[in-house]
Amino acid sequence: MTDALHLSGLTKTFGAKRAVDNLDLTVRSGELYALLGPNGAGKTTTLRMVAGLLAPTSGAISVFGVDAVKDPAAAKQIIAWAPDEPMLYDRLNPMEYLEFVAGLWGVDGKTARKRAEDLLKWLDLWDQRAQRCEGFSRGMKQKTALAGALIHDPRLLMLDEPPTGLDAAMARQVKDVLQERVRQGGTVILTTHILEVAERMADRIGIIQHGRLLAEGSLEDLRALGGGAGATLEDLFLQLTGQAAVA
Amino acid sequence: MLLREMQRQKGRTVQIIALVVLVCGLVAAGIGLGFLVREVGYDLNPVLVVAVDLVALLIFTIMVSSTLARAAQVLYLRDDLDLLLSSPLPPGRILAVRFAGIAFSVTLFWLVLAAGLLAPIAVIAAPALLAVLPVLLALGLVASAVGLLLTTLLFRLIGPRRTRTLAQVLSALIGASLFLSSQLPNILRGKSESYSRWGWLRPYFTGEAHLDLPPHADLIARAAVGQPIPLLLVLAVSLVFFMLVTGMLGRQFARDAASAIGSDPARRVSKRVTGAFAAGAFAATLRKELRLLMRDISLFSQVLLRVLYMLPLAFVFVRNASAGDSLLLPTAAAAMAVMAGQLSSSFTWITVSAEDAPDLLVAAPASMSLITRAKLWAALIPTAVLVAIPLLAVGLFAPLTALVSAAGCFASAWACGVVNIWRQRPGRRADFRRRGNVNWVVAFAILGISGLIGGATFLAASGMTWAILPAVLAAVLTLAMRRSDKQIRERLRDEA
Repeated sequence: MTDALHLSGLTKTFGAKRAVDNLDLTVRSGELYALLGPNGAGKTTTLRMVAGLLAPTSGAISVFGVDAVKDPAAAKQIIAWAPDEPMLYDRLNPMEYLEFVAGLWGVDGKTARKRAEDLLKWLDLWDQRAQRCEGFSRGMKQKTALAGALIHDPRLLMLDEPPTGLDAAMARQVKDVLQERVRQGGTVILTTHILEVAERMADRIGIIQHGRLLAEGSLEDLRALGGGAGATLEDLFLQLTGQAAVA
Repeated sequence: MLLREMQRQKGRTVQIIALVVLVCGLVAAGIGLGFLVREVGYDLNPVLVVAVDLVALLIFTIMVSSTLARAAQVLYLRDDLDLLLSSPLPPGRILAVRFAGIAFSVTLFWLVLAAGLLAPIAVIAAPALLAVLPVLLALGLVASAVGLLLTTLLFRLIGPRRTRTLAQVLSALIGASLFLSSQLPNILRGKSESYSRWGWLRPYFTGEAHLDLPPHADLIARAAVGQPIPLLLVLAVSLVFFMLVTGMLGRQFARDAASAIGSDPARRVSKRVTGAFAAGAFAATLRKELRLLMRDISLFSQVLLRVLYMLPLAFVFVRNASAGDSLLLPTAAAAMAVMAGQLSSSFTWITVSAEDAPDLLVAAPASMSLITRAKLWAALIPTAVLVAIPLLAVGLFAPLTALVSAAGCFASAWACGVVNIWRQRPGRRADFRRRGNVNWVVAFAILGISGLIGGATFLAASGMTWAILPAVLAAVLTLAMRRSDKQIRERLRDEA
């Protein structure tokens, strides 16, 4: 089976700073992968390169076998990217926003309209479909952006810090949506620094620091690396990132 | 961030240079006036009293409109006001300081201008005229108080968000109406009349006519020439009025501001839910941009003001074209071409540079050239609608000239639009007025291109083949501003 995402030797430098340093990473199709790391570890930069928002300094990005560096349009067609700051237009309502996003991804009008209705109902935004986003809470904005990310039915969904700023009920709803997505065969990558989110949701977890992958695997795999059977992800994370700092 | 800060600094530098040049001009004028006043003297005759009152009224109106825009903005500085109102200081005192700040900022500009003009007059001829400065301060206090009263009233009637929009629109309209009223003599006078703008005043100066003024109409003029009692009276009344109004409004403003902070912004509901979805990136982008343009009333009104400023010219044109002036049709054609370029440039800046979600566009598989093409068309459509009205008017008199004008308008709008695309720099809609300061090369290029195409349109409408020369120059200037898609991407990436 083709991997959903395969990064090899991915590097991004900003001047003298190496934000992502020769990163090798593989995300399997149909899994929920959490990329963990402290602030400035290179998580967002990595996903921005995959989404085509940043050009890598060197290395290769393959999305379901498509070379995202050589053929970015084909890769973008099957990717969705939802950053922590929702990419919305205050003066559009959710329906109009979804119409625009669907158009950008070339979804035909009829299909897009049907999907928009389903998504807004699924995300409890149906009653607000005609309200402009300017009056929305942060949670509602994030859900609208998530609907936008899903409108073209992407094979790979990438979310940057998805539960940030959401209340408990909304955070649960977003988690349910992501897990449902994975159950339907989709692949989800999320970055987070909230360890409970990764611990509870992810099939596999990658820990990144200074642009390098320190460890990767299921929670059990990571426990086997150190910390013992009772170790929490927080223990493992601190231990691993602490080791890296010492090294 | 650093780049934006540098751009902001550059914008401020341009403004400071403009102010310095203006003040230097005023000082020069002041020196001339100083010698004139020393030679002729001044006497508070009724005509001078009326003139002083009119100027005071004009300045007062502009000050009120500035206060409207500033007060609404101040109420909307959420972070700032949130912090201040959560401090242990009484809200009334905080807002009194803020109100005083508004009054000062509204008055400062006029004080600087007046000081530049009056300082030489005071040195050369009449030191008493420096009393104009405290009179201006008094005007600023009263105007700020009136502006604050109006803002509070609007806040109560239509809510904070609409107050801000309406205040901006009102402020712009007041400015435009003052400009239009200053052009009334040009609009109203007949073509054949030998006209002297101030000729009708002569009998009042020579004593052939007498002007009856209502009681105390000379109060401001007396204060302005430094008569102590009127000056003290004007200052005292304005200060008491300002303190009364701000004291009364302080608590009210605190409540209104708290409600603006505590509650979600008003939820605007579309009248009808989107029907059939647009198919494809071009149609979807076009529809989105048109929606955003139509919904940004404040920004749209600023663009429309450009059309409003062309109205006096249009009036003159219609009147004189009907009288058969051969140069007027080509002049109108040229003016329309220039206007089309300026309008298209403004709209393209909004659709391209002030894009709210640039990452969304980059993350999409649709090609950037297709998206920018849609954005250009979204800018050209409202331009075409606005230009269509004067074009139709020209078409009534001369269909061929209307055709030439239409071609000139399209060329100008298209060229200015693509320059904005090639030289785009990310900005915020709030920066619309300052965009020229930040990107002055583009501002000058657009002025040059629209001017050259306007010239070409004038010559073509006059039937001269020389039209080709400015047209070629415009094309060369346009192409000189060109950047490839790759260069645009790299530039935007560098600035991100």
